[in-house]
Amino acid sequence: MEQYLIMNPLGFPLLSATIFLPVLGVLAILFLKSDRLIKLAALGVSSVTFLVSLLIYLHFDPTTHLFQFGERLPWIPKYEIYYLLGVDGISVFLIPLTTLIAPLCVLCSWRAIETRVKEFMICILLMEAAMIGVFCALDLVLFYLFWEAMLIPMYLLIAIWGGPKRDYASIKFFIYTLFGSVFLLVGIIALYLENGTFNIPEAMFRDYSFSFQVWVFLAFGIAFAIKVPMFPFHTWLPAAHTEAPTAGSVFLASILLKMGTYGFLRFSLPITPEASIWAAPWIIALSLVAIVYGGYVCLGQTDMKKLIAYSSVAHMGFVTLGIFTFSLFGFQGAMLQMLNHGITTGALFCCVGIVYERTHSREIHDNAGLGKIMPLYMGFFGLFAVSSFAFPGTNNFISELYVLISAFEAGKLVGFIAIVGALLAAAYMLRLLKQIAWGREDLRSNLVDLNLREVFFLLPFALFVFWVGLFPKPFVSAMEKTLSYYQAELVKFIP
Amino acid sequence: MDSWLHPALVYFLGSLLLPFFQGKARQVLALMIPLFSIFLVANMPEGVYGQVQFLGLELTFGRVDKLSLVFAWVFVIMALLGTIYGLHVKESGHVLAGNFYVGSSLGALFAGDYLTLFLFWEIMAFSSVFLIWYRRTPAAIDAGFRYLLVHVFGGLCLFTGILLIYFKTGNLEFTALLPTQAGLAEYLILAGFALNAAVLPLHAWLPDAYPEATVEGAVLLCAFTTKTAVYVLARGFSGFEILAVMGVAMTIFGVIYAVIENDMRRVLAYHIISQVGYMVAGIGIGTHLAVNGAAAHAFAHILYKALLFMGAGAVLYMTGTAKLSQLGGLWRYMPLTMLGYVVGAVSISGFPLFSGFVSKSMIVAAAHQEGRLYLMALMQLAAIGTFLSVGLKVTYFAFFGKESAIVAKEPPKNMLWAMGLTGALCFILGVYPDPLYALLPFAVEYRPYTLHHLSEAFQLLTMTGLVFYLLVKKLAPEVKINLDVDYFYRQGAKYFVRLDEGVIAPADSRWGDVWKAVGLRLLFWKAALAVKFDQEAIDGIVDGTAATAMRISAGVRKLQTGQIQTYIGLSLMIFFLVLWFLVV
Repeated sequence: MEQYLIMNPLGFPLLSATIFLPVLGVLAILFLKSDRLIKLAALGVSSVTFLVSLLIYLHFDPTTHLFQFGERLPWIPKYEIYYLLGVDGISVFLIPLTTLIAPLCVLCSWRAIETRVKEFMICILLMEAAMIGVFCALDLVLFYLFWEAMLIPMYLLIAIWGGPKRDYASIKFFIYTLFGSVFLLVGIIALYLENGTFNIPEAMFRDYSFSFQVWVFLAFGIAFAIKVPMFPFHTWLPAAHTEAPTAGSVFLASILLKMGTYGFLRFSLPITPEASIWAAPWIIALSLVAIVYGGYVCLGQTDMKKLIAYSSVAHMGFVTLGIFTFSLFGFQGAMLQMLNHGITTGALFCCVGIVYERTHSREIHDNAGLGKIMPLYMGFFGLFAVSSFAFPGTNNFISELYVLISAFEAGKLVGFIAIVGALLAAAYMLRLLKQIAWGREDLRSNLVDLNLREVFFLLPFALFVFWVGLFPKPFVSAMEKTLSYYQAELVKFIP
Repeated sequence: MDSWLHPALVYFLGSLLLPFFQGKARQVLALMIPLFSIFLVANMPEGVYGQVQFLGLELTFGRVDKLSLVFAWVFVIMALLGTIYGLHVKESGHVLAGNFYVGSSLGALFAGDYLTLFLFWEIMAFSSVFLIWYRRTPAAIDAGFRYLLVHVFGGLCLFTGILLIYFKTGNLEFTALLPTQAGLAEYLILAGFALNAAVLPLHAWLPDAYPEATVEGAVLLCAFTTKTAVYVLARGFSGFEILAVMGVAMTIFGVIYAVIENDMRRVLAYHIISQVGYMVAGIGIGTHLAVNGAAAHAFAHILYKALLFMGAGAVLYMTGTAKLSQLGGLWRYMPLTMLGYVVGAVSISGFPLFSGFVSKSMIVAAAHQEGRLYLMALMQLAAIGTFLSVGLKVTYFAFFGKESAIVAKEPPKNMLWAMGLTGALCFILGVYPDPLYALLPFAVEYRPYTLHHLSEAFQLLTMTGLVFYLLVKKLAPEVKINLDVDYFYRQGAKYFVRLDEGVIAPADSRWGDVWKAVGLRLLFWKAALAVKFDQEAIDGIVDGTAATAMRISAGVRKLQTGQIQTYIGLSLMIFFLVLWFLVV
């Protein structure tokens, strides 16, 4: 087979199975009537998908940078379009992350979603399938298809099950991201015209002319920057996050935002290396702005969900910062940060969802002083909050450590500004934590602490916080080969 | 690596068991933890243990040498005393926080590399804040928040310094740094350490937070944070001249403020700054005698300061206030508490036969030996203030002085026991300091009980007593001027108090305000600005674009009249326009 791809060694198409299991689940759910059965089916299907996706990690060969579990079928041969799938060190964790988040999302909407349960679960599962597809696709057309397919269920989630300003938020989300996608499509077509193929690995590290690279970089870059979202393209995010139902917010934060940074790593850097190097100072500057500015905006929030949404802007700033330092530390940090942000911010949104179900308010003031009444909840919330500002021993510490090392390598000033962002992160998270835990004395005592289901879906998050925080080795080593390959290829282009 | 058990682990795991026990069983378990860790420290041979590979870095959890052992000894002893004092506490979260705090400071002591140190450093900050928050008053919660932010800031200074050191040297080993080679990285680490040691001007968090802590929490707080910082300073920064100067400044500064404070625990909090100043100065002087003195003083200070906080805490616990202006005549009701407090007070003041005498004087002697006479003189001056404020003023106004309306009882037995044991230790160390001297990092050839030293101490103390006698009305929390015979003394004293009240104290409270204003208000102001910018500027452009697009499309829609003539007319217009473009 091609030199970039190791075909799937297992007896069955693992990646396709992971992508299409949720779709099969959707087909089954179509015929179910009872809400309870639908929920159970969605939970069952997404859990099975998670177990299947674990096979990807278990059979993943960390000693090569090549794409693995390859699947290749001709799709539209006339235009050289293939159904081409593969996984490398960049995507190997993003897929299990997606499949882990999906069942947790089903669980966290168990009570919260009471209307149109069937449609809701279908949206969740379709979105899951599309997201896995994005991370597996090695053909630009296939990639674009999954990329766009993701938008529709997300739009519906916000527009149907969202909060009071859902119309505004959903349309803003849709138009904004679609706006970016159009440029992505232009870039894809440009690459096709240049290469005569939509194959992604074959498009990497070729000697395109500099101006071609810059245009393609910009076209891709806008799409990805909106998705990340990078400053100043971020304002769709708080609107969408705030209005989306909990499951939508979790999906949005944990997976959807990763698409942008994944895109930078998968496309921008290898396909347009010289343009990436050319743009790096700007991207680093924008990342720093995102980190510091995001921190300040968080500090001024009164809405819990909005605060966490803006914290995503700051955290994703660390990811783009790490990527564009072009160092191995930076890449590793960025990848880990993607994973960690998915875990921690997802968990924080779950926490907000839990308290919203009880008090029907997202305002910090309305939920202040829960510490005495819901100690168990506070324990989880506290853990995720301290993890969010990179407390040593938790997952984010490892990734921010990596990114900060790379930032200091890139320049002392870069490092110092990033450190300021880390301080702000502590400030806004502690402020939130203080308010929620101890804020008020006049408490409604009819609130009940976490039930078993809630503990059950928060536990995996907590587990990951410590796992990545204390034993990051398996994560780092699995992606090391791919990242160091990319890094080695990339530095050749640095003049 | 043999079977070395980290005492921090005993604290972490042991305290996690606590919530599962009730009543007496829990008290027994709570006592078992510090007892067992004392046993561990007593049987701990020097060496390097607990080395772990992490992300390609070698982490050392157990570096046991003389310097870490002397601090470990006093930490575990103090933890036991603090546990006894807080035995009546029912909230397991409170006890848990205390144990994590103690455990993490032990972790910081034994850390052989910067990353391990940083890990425990942060756990320390985050567990200790609960000792403030558990007071559950709004003031305590706000103070805790500020406390935590400041420590996060210090932690990040340290962390940045660590990263820079890593780039410079390629490893993370925590060893002594040389003043001549110190660059940005070293000074950032120094700043991180100095913040925890409450070195001026990074001190404002301490008197802000400690007086707001819980009664039992303050006893622990006063012991561990600053002394862990003293330890790391001694390990990394001995001989840094800036520390000698700042240390002496701290000794004076803390006293100046303590003289006029009204709240008992606030007096004591300012005194921590003063006393830690001696240690910092000793580290800055950097000779063997000086560093020994710093370690010995830390040892002695932890005990007597805890004793003082226990006494003040007992008063607060039983009467509900620690304000001197509301207290008075408590000796009638709380004689044992008074006795404990007085033992602490005479220890801190450096009375012969008590622990402060045998440790503080080492640092003063080291300054003398190095010919740093002005440092020595200032330190002696601070000693006068110490006796004046902690020894005489607080004792007088809380336990004697005018009768207040407050009627109180002795505190619970466990508190009295803790005070008794601590007081006994203060006395034993003062009379028989040899075991302490044997623990010190360098060989000691220091004799505290020389005739010269004794007479010096008596002169200082009697003079101070005299000053207090003359000043007693002036120092009263409610000031009334009463002309007296000794005009000369009175005038001098009056000006001193005036200077203190009128200039120095306000300057410090301004600094405290600046600390809060710059630290927090400016932060929130900028945050509000950022929110406004985000909503109005960025989102304004985004939503404005959308609105413009809508408006344009609404305009274009008007062209769709449904009349065929309009369409034909428009088509023709466009046709001619295109034609015109093509021709021209």
